[in-house]
Amino acid sequence: MALFSVFQTTFLLALLSLRTHQSEVLSEPLPWAPESLKVSINSTHQCLHLQWSVHNLAYHQELKMVFQIEISRIKTSNVIWVENYSTTVKGNQVLHWSWESKLPLECAKHFIRMRSAVDDATTPEQRFWSNWSSWEEVDVQNSLGHEPLFVFPKDKLVEEGSNVTICYVSRSQQNNISCYLEGVRMQGQQLDPNVSMFNLYDVAFIRETGTNIYCKVDRGDDIKGIVLFVSKILEEPKDFSCETRDFQTLSCTWDPGRDTGLLKQLPQSYTLFESFSGKKILCKHKSWCNWQVAPESQEMYNFTLTAENYLRKRSVHILFNLAHRVHPMAPFNVLFNDVSVTNATITWKVHSTGNYYTLLCQVELYGEGKVIQKHNVSVKVNGELVLSGLQPDTEYSAQVRCANANHFWKWSEWTRQNFTTVEAAPSEAPDIWRNVKSVQGYCVVTLFWKPLTRLQANGEILFYNIVVKDLDRPSGLQLLSVPAPANRTELTLDQRSYQIHVTANNSVGTSPASVLVVSGDPGDEEVEEERVKGTEGGFSLSWKPQLGNITGYVVEWCDRPRDPPCDLQWKHLGPNTTSTVISSDAFRPGVRYNFRIYGISTEMVPHLLEKKTGYSQELAPSDNPRVVMSNLTSHSFTLSWKDYSTESQPSFIRGYHVYLKSKAGQCHPGSEKAVLSDDSVCCKYKIDDPKQKTFVVGNLQPESFYEFLVTPYSAVGEGPHGAFTKVTTPDEYSPMLIRIILPMIFCILLIMILCYLKSQWMKEKCYPDIPDPYKSSVLSLIKSKENPRLTIMNIKDCVPDTIEVVNKHEGTGKSPTEPEAAKPTYLYLLPAEESYSGPGPCICFENFTYNQAASDSASCGHVPVPTKAPSQLGLLTSSENLLTALEKNCMNSLEEIPAGESSLNYVSQVASPMSGEKSSLPTNPPQPELCSEYKMQMAIPLGLAAPSSSGSSSLSSITLLDEGEHYH
Amino acid sequence: MQAQLLWRTLPSLVLGLLFLSMPAMGSCSDKYPELLGQLQKQADFMQHTNTLLDLYIRSQGLDKNGLKEHCRERPGAFPSKDALQRLSRRVFLRTLDTTLGHVLLRLAALEQDIPKAQDLEMLSVVKLNIRGFKNNIHCMAQLLPGSSETTEPTPTSPGASPSPTPTLDTFQRRLEGCRFLHGYHRFMRSVGQVFREWGKSLSRSRRHSPHQGLLKGARRMQLSGRNKRLMPRVQLAPGSHRGAPGG
Repeated sequence: MALFSVFQTTFLLALLSLRTHQSEVLSEPLPWAPESLKVSINSTHQCLHLQWSVHNLAYHQELKMVFQIEISRIKTSNVIWVENYSTTVKGNQVLHWSWESKLPLECAKHFIRMRSAVDDATTPEQRFWSNWSSWEEVDVQNSLGHEPLFVFPKDKLVEEGSNVTICYVSRSQQNNISCYLEGVRMQGQQLDPNVSMFNLYDVAFIRETGTNIYCKVDRGDDIKGIVLFVSKILEEPKDFSCETRDFQTLSCTWDPGRDTGLLKQLPQSYTLFESFSGKKILCKHKSWCNWQVAPESQEMYNFTLTAENYLRKRSVHILFNLAHRVHPMAPFNVLFNDVSVTNATITWKVHSTGNYYTLLCQVELYGEGKVIQKHNVSVKVNGELVLSGLQPDTEYSAQVRCANANHFWKWSEWTRQNFTTVEAAPSEAPDIWRNVKSVQGYCVVTLFWKPLTRLQANGEILFYNIVVKDLDRPSGLQLLSVPAPANRTELTLDQRSYQIHVTANNSVGTSPASVLVVSGDPGDEEVEEERVKGTEGGFSLSWKPQLGNITGYVVEWCDRPRDPPCDLQWKHLGPNTTSTVISSDAFRPGVRYNFRIYGISTEMVPHLLEKKTGYSQELAPSDNPRVVMSNLTSHSFTLSWKDYSTESQPSFIRGYHVYLKSKAGQCHPGSEKAVLSDDSVCCKYKIDDPKQKTFVVGNLQPESFYEFLVTPYSAVGEGPHGAFTKVTTPDEYSPMLIRIILPMIFCILLIMILCYLKSQWMKEKCYPDIPDPYKSSVLSLIKSKENPRLTIMNIKDCVPDTIEVVNKHEGTGKSPTEPEAAKPTYLYLLPAEESYSGPGPCICFENFTYNQAASDSASCGHVPVPTKAPSQLGLLTSSENLLTALEKNCMNSLEEIPAGESSLNYVSQVASPMSGEKSSLPTNPPQPELCSEYKMQMAIPLGLAAPSSSGSSSLSSITLLDEGEHYH
Repeated sequence: MQAQLLWRTLPSLVLGLLFLSMPAMGSCSDKYPELLGQLQKQADFMQHTNTLLDLYIRSQGLDKNGLKEHCRERPGAFPSKDALQRLSRRVFLRTLDTTLGHVLLRLAALEQDIPKAQDLEMLSVVKLNIRGFKNNIHCMAQLLPGSSETTEPTPTSPGASPSPTPTLDTFQRRLEGCRFLHGYHRFMRSVGQVFREWGKSLSRSRRHSPHQGLLKGARRMQLSGRNKRLMPRVQLAPGSHRGAPGG
């Protein structure tokens, strides 16, 4: 113990003496003080780079030292950084240290100094520091040049989210300078009168070409700026894994993650390092790399994948056993052997992975695109598997893949191959049905069958055999062969019962037969039709169970009832079934489907049991009936639409609505007001019976305008409100007037017809051409009342006196207004008797030349004149002279006067029996035989007759002529 | 955006094919009016900033207020319209050919600053157009009287390259590129106007005499050849060789 105390005291004294010695040395440089301190700058990286050596350190000496470095900014007293840099120093070694400045070095002066101490880890608090080196000044601004403005740092690369300090250096204090980040002004902090700095926090990636930051001198054209390249952060590679397929190459893959956005300025690299072997490769691709497996069968691998760019480094590691990372190659040479009706053997080979590994192979069998069998097989080199339970004549596909059986890593790719099994005879009887029609005493049976499914057919169906057996004559057999793919045939049978067998045949054999009996009676007995409501899922049908021998039921319908052929469909159901759901993709809304339910007896005879009809979805009626209007009266009219078929409508018609529009707008009992879609108001009559197709619209106003529309309605709505038909009721009296006027018109027409038919008689009675004096009522009137002495003048009493000849000039071109129009020529007749003393009250003469035709033709020459007539008659004593003069005058007039210009006016006294038939006159001139045949001119007293003839009295003679006989 | 690009690219491609049609056929057209019309249309097309400048401004982020105002042509970077109009036809064509050669060099430099593939594709189409245009200039030079004397375009003098000095930082290079492209479009507009004047003189001479336009051009060329020292000088780029080469 005493020895220990002595030792301790000695140690303390020695230590004290050493401390004292050190204190003395402090006034002089320590032997290991830093010397030759040099400072350089890297503007691009904003780095200060220091290099120095240690004073008085022997060449072979090695000393662990710590260097304290102080950095000041702008002035030495403004220390911004102090750092202790520890390192082991060898003799004559030049030491290096770098410091990155947040502020661009160009923006401010920097001062650096350092001191050193021996790094005694045991007592760091008791370090004996050397003296500080003198301050080293770094001033980059001096080397900038003479431009008025600078912005720093140039082309700096940072990651997004970083903080960046920007500064500008202006050469003139007078300038007012503004700085912008992508057009947005920044607020800065002045470091000195010429320098301002701007701190940017959490900078964002804007574009691949970098962020523009620029400063401008206000009211100046000078602009300076920098581009700050902001990169997205380099991501750690994901899903890094390696595997081998052949034990020669390891393929390593990974997901590099998102792009940094600065591939040009900031390229990134991927390196792969394997620690056991110490090998390292630089990957050429950014997402995969191949590594050669060592030939000395290295089992374990420890990989480090490093993604790296200028700003960041990211690494991921994996450690694995090579045998556990085997990804086998796809099997090959997949074949099918011994393919039969239901079996096949599949064989395949795998790529060798060495004799030490067993592969687990998976076989999948596909039928109709689905996996129907799955098998696992252990395989060394060759694989084999028997596939059973297959269908005949069916194409299958089988695929194989393999994986390491001991350490599953990944399945290989599939290898696929197809094969087809062998055919067999059809296994099921065809599903048959019939449609029977009676035509001219024969049964026309259309036999339908459904094609067998692939599973039933067991091969390609080549033809169908149909055997028709006459049940009344067992010996009567008929065989038909219908080639596939027909699905129907037509048989014409007589009115007996026949049993029909149908079989399907392929190249291997025949199917079981389907049997159906067709009896002479089609069995379409009257069965009441019921309505069913369909849904989207189909029609739910049910029927009453049939007592007796029923082998099943058949439901029959047409998929396209509107389009012939209607695509007959049927469904066989068991004997215990009394309901079913009929669904079809062909069902459409608004189409009426009719279903017939048959019971099949044990004799295979179908009997119609029930009829159903319905819509899968009812739609509103699509069209309105064509309405015929009749019986229009002033108060009513009748509408009828007899030809409107309710069967073809898209829903069950429940009745009709009759809309009536009127100006009055009042609705009578039996109708109700209705507002149409166009907001017009009308009266609506409802007809609840769809079979009622006439309607009388009553209670109308006469002479009123109405519009009507008849539209059907069903459970889902009514028909379209199309165009209304317009009608105007007649007035009340029109019918009555028509009843009176029509008979009157008829009577008048009848009278007119009678008058026409009896016109001759009427003429004679009412207005004869030459009044018969004997028949004249005037005469009788005068005779009886006024002058009883008056009587018919006898012709013998007449003495010709004067003939008035009127020369009329027409068609000579002279104006009718000329004064010399017609100068009458007078022929004076000498009195035949002495007693004649002057002109009497009347002159009567016998007119031999009178002829209607002559008068018409106005030509004397055309009329044959009976020259002897006067002498025969002996009426005139000087008649020959007169006639001669007349003829002469007449001939002269023919010669000298154009036709039509001269006429002879006289009083006609011949009643021609052919009056009115002028054309016949020239050939059959009248033949007067007796005087009685002459109509005698009535002697009229002067007071009744025209004024006496004078020089201008030609008109007086005209007045005695019939108007139709005037010629001027 | 893609539709817009397609809308921009398609006419350029068509025009590019048009440019290259004659050289591809291996011979120049001998129809002066037709060639002149083509050159005029091509110059009119190339003057549009949407073929190049707009693309550059957008890709470099220069479409910001306070920044785009500085994207203006530097005086003297390209010959002015007046200077071009004063040149004889032959010298004009040579100057045009030389200048476009510089433009091609500069575009190759600008490619380095364009990262997007679709923008690069547009730039390559523009370069294709310029090459075609140069070929047409060559053909036009052959049509001018006296073309057998000098038919080759004036070689580019090294000092005439308008490329900025490589010490420029990215921002300055970006602005310079923008200014250069601005000048390029203005230059092509002036070229189009000069060609239009050629066309006008052609139609005037046609009214007067079918070949007088060419003869006039030839006379002017001979005159300019005699008085080439008196010809107005054309400044191609800062620091470049001044004066029309050979002019």
